[in-house]
Amino acid sequence: MRWTTLSVVVLLAVAGCSGGESAVPGGAPPSAIDRLLAKAPVATAIPAGSAMARIKDRGELLIGGSLDAPLLSQQNPGTGELTGFDADLGKLLAKYIIGEPKTKLVTSTSETREPLLANGTVDVILQTYTITPQRAERVAFAGPYYSSGQAIAVRRGTTGIAKPADLAGRKVIAGANTPAIAAIKAAAPTAEIVEFGSDPECLTALRQGRGEAYVQDQALLIADAAQDGELEVVGEPFTTDPYGIGLKHGDEQFKQFVNDWLREIQKSGLWQDVWRDSIGTVVKGDPPTPPVIGSAQGS
Amino acid sequence: MSHLPDLVGGFLTTLALVALSAAGAFALGVVVVVLRVGPLRVLRAVGTGYVETFQNIPLLVWLVLFVFGLPEVGVRFPLFTTAVVVISLYEAAYVAEALRSGVNTVAQGQGEAARALGLTFGQTLRHVVVPQAARRVVQPLGNIGIALTMNTSLAAVAGVVELTASANRVNLVEALPIPIFVGAGLCYALLAAGIGGLAGVLERRLAT
Repeated sequence: MRWTTLSVVVLLAVAGCSGGESAVPGGAPPSAIDRLLAKAPVATAIPAGSAMARIKDRGELLIGGSLDAPLLSQQNPGTGELTGFDADLGKLLAKYIIGEPKTKLVTSTSETREPLLANGTVDVILQTYTITPQRAERVAFAGPYYSSGQAIAVRRGTTGIAKPADLAGRKVIAGANTPAIAAIKAAAPTAEIVEFGSDPECLTALRQGRGEAYVQDQALLIADAAQDGELEVVGEPFTTDPYGIGLKHGDEQFKQFVNDWLREIQKSGLWQDVWRDSIGTVVKGDPPTPPVIGSAQGS
Repeated sequence: MSHLPDLVGGFLTTLALVALSAAGAFALGVVVVVLRVGPLRVLRAVGTGYVETFQNIPLLVWLVLFVFGLPEVGVRFPLFTTAVVVISLYEAAYVAEALRSGVNTVAQGQGEAARALGLTFGQTLRHVVVPQAARRVVQPLGNIGIALTMNTSLAAVAGVVELTASANRVNLVEALPIPIFVGAGLCYALLAAGIGGLAGVLERRLAT
């Protein structure tokens, strides 16, 4: 029995070491979102019987999203506070509908998003949900609210990888269930894709030589490279991923409502402020021009 | 349905994982149980330590440790190999326990009688204990085989694109989780039924 205890202790120590890279940059101080919420708009008219009216009556916006997406929707384990671009937009949307930023996050995954919307477990999905025509057959997309792009990162000193086509025939690391997988297949069909569950795991795998390149959302890669001098982001994003807010399929009224809200916060500069507090903490320069609502095929 | 090749590929990877891990787990399980029922105190302790270590830590933790921990100390296997090794090591603990319970069903007096007749430890196992124990462990081993099949889905963590991971990939494009995962579930059920059936046949054979 003593041996068991000893080996457990040793193993836990090893486990602790291998997970050491998981510190993630970004995340605004908690006061930032409060400042934005103070000046955030509230809807003037909520039609009776609508999805918005039901949310308002409930007093809480149910959001399907992530707890572990750095810069987008990440929970601080110490405070329980959810920070990031998606998380902040969720609070602003809740304030717009209810008048108060009351949200409840339901952890959703790529395999549960559509059922959660269809059976009404969540009101909206805010989770780097790329708008595609196939998905639009089952989900209504408001937005796009953000336009992202996949980029390539390598270990410093790697040669021969300068553009997506260079990935052909190589081992490429990608996050499981991310748009990177489809992007790699389209850009370099002969690349061998190696998937890992989370960004820190992918980074560790790249460092340990499990692949020659890592394809991930550019903002996330920039954040990673800021932490890890061995990581080099190569070139510019090679895809455009329009993220939409997932709503129940067929609810045109709610979609119109959310689109109106998005246009309003884009115009007032609130969208840009949210960007500065989240993605803008690692990406240099001014906020990008927000995507035109309805511009993505399927939105 | 254009994604059928992806799912078939995933299913084949799962099959390969099950076959190789089951073989590995059985071979290692036999070694461990011999240590555990053997006469040497030191070897018994080693066997017990092995079983306790692997049974008391979740498979997922082992996978993460082997995939991300070993390269830190300079040992790097291909991902598929890592998955097979880890699942084998883990399930071997359960195989050893099932075998041991089979051995324990043979009355101690029989072993003592065999030794009294001058049989060695190995001969006692081979001629007296194993034939009786074998038929009693077929069903437990079948159940472990089924559990092993289900556990292979964790190999996705190790970057192995088996059935569950490939279903996930297809769903990412098609956004049809219910039919895709029902399909994957049926494949697992089929595999489990096959293993159960095999155990039934074996049990009848050994009963005579």
